Amino acid sequence: MNLKRKITNYGIAFLIILSLNFLLPRLMPGTPLTAIYGEEVLVQMTPEFKASLIKRFALDEPLYKQFIFYIFSLFRGDLGYSYYQSGSVFQIILAHLPWTFLLVGFSLILSTIGGIILGIESGWRRGKITDKAILTGMMTLSGFPSFFMGIMLLLFFAVNLGLFPLQGARTPYADIYGIWLVLDVVKHFILPLAALVLVEVSGCYLLTRNTMIMTLRKSFILTAKAKGLPDKKVRYRHAGRNSLLPVVTRTGIKLGTAVTGALFIEIIFSYPGVGNLIYSSLLMRDYPVLQGTLLMVAIFVLAANFFVDLIYKKLDPRVQNAY
Amino acid sequence: MHIKYWEELKKDTFGKIGLVLFLFFIVIVLIAPFITRDPQVQTALVFEAPSLEHLLGTNDVGQDIWSRLVWGARTSLLVAIGVGMLSTFLGALIGASAALIGGWYEEIAMRIIDAFLVIPTVILLILVAAFIRPSIWLLIVLISFLRWQGGARIIRSQTLSLKESVHISAAKSFGASRFYILFRHIIPDLAPILVVSFIYSARMAVFMEAGLAFIGITDPSVVSWGKMMHHALNFYYLDIWKWWLLPAGMALSALILVFAFLGYSLEKIMDPRLRKSNA
Repeated sequence: MNLKRKITNYGIAFLIILSLNFLLPRLMPGTPLTAIYGEEVLVQMTPEFKASLIKRFALDEPLYKQFIFYIFSLFRGDLGYSYYQSGSVFQIILAHLPWTFLLVGFSLILSTIGGIILGIESGWRRGKITDKAILTGMMTLSGFPSFFMGIMLLLFFAVNLGLFPLQGARTPYADIYGIWLVLDVVKHFILPLAALVLVEVSGCYLLTRNTMIMTLRKSFILTAKAKGLPDKKVRYRHAGRNSLLPVVTRTGIKLGTAVTGALFIEIIFSYPGVGNLIYSSLLMRDYPVLQGTLLMVAIFVLAANFFVDLIYKKLDPRVQNAY
Repeated sequence: MHIKYWEELKKDTFGKIGLVLFLFFIVIVLIAPFITRDPQVQTALVFEAPSLEHLLGTNDVGQDIWSRLVWGARTSLLVAIGVGMLSTFLGALIGASAALIGGWYEEIAMRIIDAFLVIPTVILLILVAAFIRPSIWLLIVLISFLRWQGGARIIRSQTLSLKESVHISAAKSFGASRFYILFRHIIPDLAPILVVSFIYSARMAVFMEAGLAFIGITDPSVVSWGKMMHHALNFYYLDIWKWWLLPAGMALSALILVFAFLGYSLEKIMDPRLRKSNA
């Protein structure tokens, strides 16, 4: 797949997301303003404000002009205005993004490292009791949906044992600074992070184990063993290292799932990231925020995938195609 | 080329567990009307603890939780099988036709497939579902339309290689008709891939339905495990989650596991490098 083709693919994907985002509220029954802002708000609006909104979205113009309008305002970073939270949607999303980045970033790093180590050890001992135990455990983990994993950790560690706070990212109204603030944030962070890592780790593990099994068949492993290298060196330096590539690229592609997983887990722990924002805007029928957030998340995941696709070749000269 | 899938599946531990559990779910769903009462009926007996009368107690509006659990399985299995079949059908139709027809048709199909593959599906689904609030049937269609691309890609490449493979040209040289080749060779050889595609779509669909119901996007007339969990979580401070939330979550995980086990086991059978008997 050449670069031009790749860019076209992502371009089409981007366009699909944009058009859906644009069309959905406008195809709904009733005036688009109802779908964009929700019924409750519309009742409270003054006619002047309504008129200004219609002008703002160019709703009195034909559809294609509305679309051009829509694209232009997007490029200005104008995702609309939230009537419920009385603020610009863009600003609201920006305030929530760091928490999600924190969660997704750390969970990706930890689950990848954990999955690789377990995968290498498991593949090395293929068929032995340790391998079977890890494999069964990981397969079982892969069945748990992220939100159920989050709920179980919450109920067990926070409700029953009382070891961790129930919700949020910080103790509300706590007058703490410096190291205590950091500790407080970490304490709130551990359970959501653990839930996400537990959900994510099995995918990476299974892939590493499979590539490890195939790598171990290669002749250079036999050479390494014949040279009399210690087991550990063969396992990590030779076999492990050569099994890494698909795993690393997958981590990038997995980003989409990690973000979705984070969305659900944030909802359970009332963690103030974009997942929670999506949830609260769903409850309030705050459509501008809902749309804006989903659009930003989709674009973000798309961009990350694109980036991974681009560096894919650089990582392994043998790989010319993704498939 | 021709692997005895059924034999291999029965030999594999994960495959065996998956099959048994799957049959168990099917049986439960089929006999649901005989082992439950009306899951929607509300009574004055709220927050009852489990008893012989109510195996898993009752919820906050006096509905029998055991009945809701069993009827939730109906919803999940319906979505799983519906999406599995529809998305596999779409994938097979578009993938195979792209391979067989070729030309600009293939080009357009592949562009659409590749574009959809990089889109974060769940996020798009939440967006669409939030606006149209789909019924259970519409949800099946929606998920299928977001999920056929992976299958289509594999089916296309498989059909391409089958088209050129030796046993097909051998059959051709014996004068086999196009239909004979399609039904006798191409479809049987595609079958395992179709099954794997079915299983993975079904697994994703179960997760998506429950996830959407969990965040409140759901058909109000159906009983759903996701909805049960969401509802039960409001009463986390009572002991009731032990027989309300936990069984629903466990059932959901078990059903997802069924598909995960079956898929993993079949993939292993299809990849001779991972198969032990072949080593």
